[in-house]
Amino acid sequence: MSNETIISLSNVTKRIGRTTIIDDLTFDVPQGEIFGFLGPNGAGKTTTIRMIVGLMSITNGQILIKGKNIKTEFEQAIRHVGAIVESPEMYKYLSGYQNLIHYARMVPGVTKERIDEVVALVKLEERIHDKVKKYSLGMRQRLGVAQALLHRPSLLILDEPTNGLDPAGIRDLRDYLRHLTRTEGISVVVSSHLLSEMELMCDRVAILQRGKLVDIMPVQQFTRRTDKAQTYLIQAQPPEQALATLRQMEGVQGVKLTQEGFVEVSTEQERVPDLLVGLMQNDIRIYGVQMVSQSLEERFLEITGGKQIG
Amino acid sequence: MVNLVLNENMKIYRRVRTWVLIGLMATLVLYINFIEWHSGGKKAVGEGWRTELQQENQQWSEMLKLPELNEQNRTFYQEQISINNYHLEENIRSTKGTMWDGVNGSANLVILITLFTIIIAGDSVASEFSTGTIKLLLIRPANRVKILLSKYISFLLFGMLLLLILFVLSIVMNGILYGLGYMDLPLISMNAEGKNVESNMVLNLWKTYMLNSVSTVMYVTMAFMISSAFRSSTMAIGFSIGAFFAGNIILEVLQRYDWSKYLLFANTDLTQYLKGHPFQEGMTLSFSIGVLAVYFLVFNLVSWLLFTRRDVAA
Repeated sequence: MSNETIISLSNVTKRIGRTTIIDDLTFDVPQGEIFGFLGPNGAGKTTTIRMIVGLMSITNGQILIKGKNIKTEFEQAIRHVGAIVESPEMYKYLSGYQNLIHYARMVPGVTKERIDEVVALVKLEERIHDKVKKYSLGMRQRLGVAQALLHRPSLLILDEPTNGLDPAGIRDLRDYLRHLTRTEGISVVVSSHLLSEMELMCDRVAILQRGKLVDIMPVQQFTRRTDKAQTYLIQAQPPEQALATLRQMEGVQGVKLTQEGFVEVSTEQERVPDLLVGLMQNDIRIYGVQMVSQSLEERFLEITGGKQIG
Repeated sequence: MVNLVLNENMKIYRRVRTWVLIGLMATLVLYINFIEWHSGGKKAVGEGWRTELQQENQQWSEMLKLPELNEQNRTFYQEQISINNYHLEENIRSTKGTMWDGVNGSANLVILITLFTIIIAGDSVASEFSTGTIKLLLIRPANRVKILLSKYISFLLFGMLLLLILFVLSIVMNGILYGLGYMDLPLISMNAEGKNVESNMVLNLWKTYMLNSVSTVMYVTMAFMISSAFRSSTMAIGFSIGAFFAGNIILEVLQRYDWSKYLLFANTDLTQYLKGHPFQEGMTLSFSIGVLAVYFLVFNLVSWLLFTRRDVAA
């Protein structure tokens, strides 16, 4: 896979009146990467996305898509972009197919075969000729994905794409995005408030807070713990007795009972077998042990101070 | 560009609302023509037109003897008597009792076209914003000027469609009511030199249509501007229709001020020059066209500026 930069933001700033909405944002997304945008409500995710697709003007700095400036070469730049900005609002009085024809007419080179192809891709074949007002939220979301992919974009921008999708739909979308990035080299910029989703979906995440970029890092690095101790969940009977036993052992911290009735304990990996032996010797029955990796969510709260979550 | 207009047309004609308006238009044309025919027109069918013209002439002659008659009415009656005499002397049937009476009367129904096109135009940009579809519309390789222009063209096409419906239906309906005779009847009118001239009826009809359409175009442009500016359908449709109807009332109040001739309403009716009685002394056809052109440019400039420059934050 080449390392061509698909989208590049440099010193992008947006001011409305005296308020600075976006402050000096700089990042690049290479070909084939899924880039996540994280931030509490009001952090400027949607504003940034709107500037990328040319719906909002840029006060300072520039945005290049495949080397074309979105401000001065809008038509050449936007040709490479497929997007869903917030929820995909379609013309409800038109059928799904008519909506796609509408967008296909606006880009040169989209054939009827291509329309059928994306319809099949999002599995809307059976309902595509129904009016959009009869669609469920999930179907509208899929139609939104279809319109974004219609013209084979190099960059896909998805604002909260999992909104309204059921778990199966979310998994389909995730698999499909993986497929697109790996086989067709499409880059994806995605924002979401579902941090666990971002964790599964993204290669890199950027954290935005009050219009400023706090950090950009690969998602694995993001979730890795800094110290050696890990948190484990132990399913044991009776839990109260397990709790008391563990508290007497060495090298353990933060022993507590979770709401689900599991025993949570923090320790080094090497100590785990000893803890289990200790428990069994006290006639405590163990049904399962599970390692809890720190989620993006916890890490996110840690970085942003945990106060701005909307 | 053609594709963009096709898109706008699809958004107009795939809506039930549009067909309700078209249906309403057709029904009103048929109904009003029927009422006109029923309440008088049918009496003049046949050879009765001569007696009717003679009666009219008598009436107007009586009127001319009244001392308090003003100058405008005096010329009007004199002209009408002269035209009627021309009909009688040359043995050319007047339009009374023929389909042309109804067809020409229907030309005033262009007012309905104005109303319905305002509704479509006023809703167009605003509804894209209120439903959020504007976001997906503007992130395509078509600049905003082209999108705006394609919308504008689609309204003009819609107006023309309604005009065509009006033309066809009024011919068919009146043809059925009065019979299709006298198809080639000429129109007798008095030219500027005071001579009676014959002209083609259909040509004259379309001239009236076109002159009436000038006001349609102006109010539709205004509705479109408000729609782009405030992004509210209600405001655009309400204001434009309000202005359309309140225009004449406002004019009457302001007529004594000299500057009122620069108002939009004072110039939209270009038929005032055909009739020879302009709103204020000294107004000419070219003056009105000039004023209308300025309004037209300003309206479009405002729509264009607001639509292309502003952020889409909704």
